[in-house]
Amino acid sequence: MGLSRNVSLPTALRYRGPAGYLTFILHRIGGLGMALFISMHILASFVGGGLGEFLNAVYESWIFQIFIFFCVFFHAINGLRIVILDLFPKLLEHQTQAIWIEWAVFIPLYGFAVFTILKTAFGG
Amino acid sequence: MDVTIKILRYSPEKDERGHYETYTVEAHENDRVLDVLELVKGHKDGSLAFRRSCAHGVCGSDAMRINGKNRLACKTLIRDVGTTLTIEPLLGLPIKKDLIVDMEPFFDNYKKMLPYFINDDPLPADGRERLQTPEQRARFDDTTKCIMCAACTTACPSYWANDEYYGPAAIVNAHRFVFDSRDQAADLRLQILAETDGTARCHTIYNCTDACPRGIQVTKAIGEVKMAIMTGKV
Repeated sequence: MGLSRNVSLPTALRYRGPAGYLTFILHRIGGLGMALFISMHILASFVGGGLGEFLNAVYESWIFQIFIFFCVFFHAINGLRIVILDLFPKLLEHQTQAIWIEWAVFIPLYGFAVFTILKTAFGG
Repeated sequence: MDVTIKILRYSPEKDERGHYETYTVEAHENDRVLDVLELVKGHKDGSLAFRRSCAHGVCGSDAMRINGKNRLACKTLIRDVGTTLTIEPLLGLPIKKDLIVDMEPFFDNYKKMLPYFINDDPLPADGRERLQTPEQRARFDDTTKCIMCAACTTACPSYWANDEYYGPAAIVNAHRFVFDSRDQAADLRLQILAETDGTARCHTIYNCTDACPRGIQVTKAIGEVKMAIMTGKV
């Protein structure tokens, strides 16, 4: 007899992993965010009418655009890092540096996207 | 100095679920977390259960979560983790009592890797060693250091989600034989690791490498096994 092995989501999130653990969590959030966006898009086209217009308004809002751009850019850049490391396992010794490079690519790219979205939303 | 230590306690006879208990003991900054646990067991609460054996980072008995991260209690100094500690059992394995987890599922996965030398050729003419070059030995040198403490496997989110996944420690021990020039069962092990619960479940999260008390490049070893499966070359 003993306590079950199940690990709850809050317990898992409390684990103090390295930088790669944060990117793993953000990668999942990115994937779910894109799935949410695509589902809303399909649903809006499918149902039409008032609900369709409401869903359109949600995913066309600047807040949702900031979120979805984060999801797409992060998922793509992090995915690229993982593919490169999978193809060249010797580089896995430099995993930490690879994550710094990933952030160095992501931050300016995403920053520019956010700037453009906000400028369009508020600057006219 | 006073060290405050919060421990996740669980007794199968008394508790339905785990609960935290806090103790304060006097310790030195150069003491190890294991010393503090011994102080608690010896002077505060003799019912506290935890594994320990060599107490010098070799046997791998005392892996546990120390301040939210897997470490060996005998290799972790108080000065490195502070005077307020939270100690919890490893994740992803059933808890038997307090900090003692059931290691059987972990060893079951290890056994699936055929973790022993396989070579049916007759011994060399001199009847002694099967020789290999320093370069051949270097291929798997890192993974020979594993002490089977389970710190890597129980730090892996893929293993938390599914204990059918063989886990980093099992793959590291497969790597040790797959890349050994004297062994002849690499294909067999790679076949096992190519299954659904093999290396495909590794998402390059790096928790395993970070948790390994022996400094093994666990993710790199898994990456090399993945590549060997993909190319068929070792």
